[in-house]
Amino acid sequence: MKEIDIPIEASVGQSRTNPLARVFDELVRFCRSRSMFMLHYCTGCGAIELPPAMTSRFDMERLGIQPMVTPRQADILLITGYVSIKTLKRVILTYEQMGSPKYVIGICSCTVNGGMYWQSYATAKQLDQYLPVDLYIAGCMPRPEAVLEGMRKLMDRIRSDEADGWKDYYRRYDWYLGNQQHLFGDDWQTPADVIGEASHYDLAGPGTEGEHTRLLQQCQKPLEPQQTFFQIGGSLEKKGEFHE
Amino acid sequence: MSKTVTPWLDNLLQEIEGIEIRRKDSRRVRIDIAADSLPTLLELLRGRAGYVHLSAITCVDWIDESQFELVYQLWSYESQSLVSAHIRIAREPGVYVSVFDLYQPAAFFERDIHEMFGVYFEGSPDMSKFILTEWNGPPPMRKEFDSEAWVNETFEWKDYQPDWLKEITEQGGGIVKTPEETRQKNP
Ligand code: SF4
Repeated sequence: MKEIDIPIEASVGQSRTNPLARVFDELVRFCRSRSMFMLHYCTGCGAIELPPAMTSRFDMERLGIQPMVTPRQADILLITGYVSIKTLKRVILTYEQMGSPKYVIGICSCTVNGGMYWQSYATAKQLDQYLPVDLYIAGCMPRPEAVLEGMRKLMDRIRSDEADGWKDYYRRYDWYLGNQQHLFGDDWQTPADVIGEASHYDLAGPGTEGEHTRLLQQCQKPLEPQQTFFQIGGSLEKKGEFHE
Repeated sequence: MSKTVTPWLDNLLQEIEGIEIRRKDSRRVRIDIAADSLPTLLELLRGRAGYVHLSAITCVDWIDESQFELVYQLWSYESQSLVSAHIRIAREPGVYVSVFDLYQPAAFFERDIHEMFGVYFEGSPDMSKFILTEWNGPPPMRKEFDSEAWVNETFEWKDYQPDWLKEITEQGGGIVKTPEETRQKNP
């Protein structure tokens, strides 16, 4: 497999001079807040209140919010309920695949502090230790009205540029990674190059790299294409290998 | 076919040593049996009495008696009745024989019990991790595992009295019963 070098040009140290830039920023933020695609990762029982919130009774679509099927096309990651440690890994993988700007909403008391599973060995307690949560909607489970209220709140925060959890993930990546390593072990790694992304977005801060990212680099194994087997007419073909 | 446990089954079972049969009602029988005789019993029930469906194997940890109890739930479609066979095995070393050769679904139940209680089933096809693939601690359903202590050691708790809540409390809202109060064990 050949490695291709894609040059990334970061606009380091360039300050904006266009006086209209801010006007456009505001317009962009307004549009962004009115068209949100959400990936609802139904981790727990709180997901039950989403179908009524999305369908004709409460109709989230009138606010411009729609469900989306893949992380790469979604803006909001909705965590609906308790996150088991096993699920948390998948949630982090999903989050890192989403394109910025991205927002995380923690629905249910379980995402705030463990909820009724506070003494369970299987669930993670505070979601915001592992992912930057922009908004919590507490309740066991919150009613669709509360979900809509929370969504409106997020829209306001996007418009006023306060919902910047995704920037926080780049700026304090070392802290988030440390908490993740605490749960998953030292050899925890994801395919995403978060530090590279942070410098690409010009968001690398003093907390981006640290002892935990050094540990990550030490333990990092090169990614290999996953070998999957599928059957065509009786013969086993191997996918994920390159033939000349 | 009558929907009861047939009486001839009783006669048949009386042949096994160390067996105690209790009828719970017309369609439920509880059998306590010595661990050594269980495979024989299952073979009899499956081969001769139509109990072809093993619905579950459950495990109970009797830590004070230093024993595990294994319960095999067997269902007969013909007589529409349930037999639960109870055995006790020693908690240490916690090894028992698999019944996979008689009932293939047993593989899953045994793998699950191995993961949750640490009981090893000899002859079971796969004793590797099943659901708790991310778990490296002791088998969590064993009574000596203190989940609460583990959680307190591993996780931090969020502050339940943040500043923004004080404003709400002054207006008459807020938390009615704090989690600290809830968590206090009754004396
Ligand atoms: S807060 Fe309640 S409804 Fe929500 S995930 Fe937890 S237990 Fe389920």
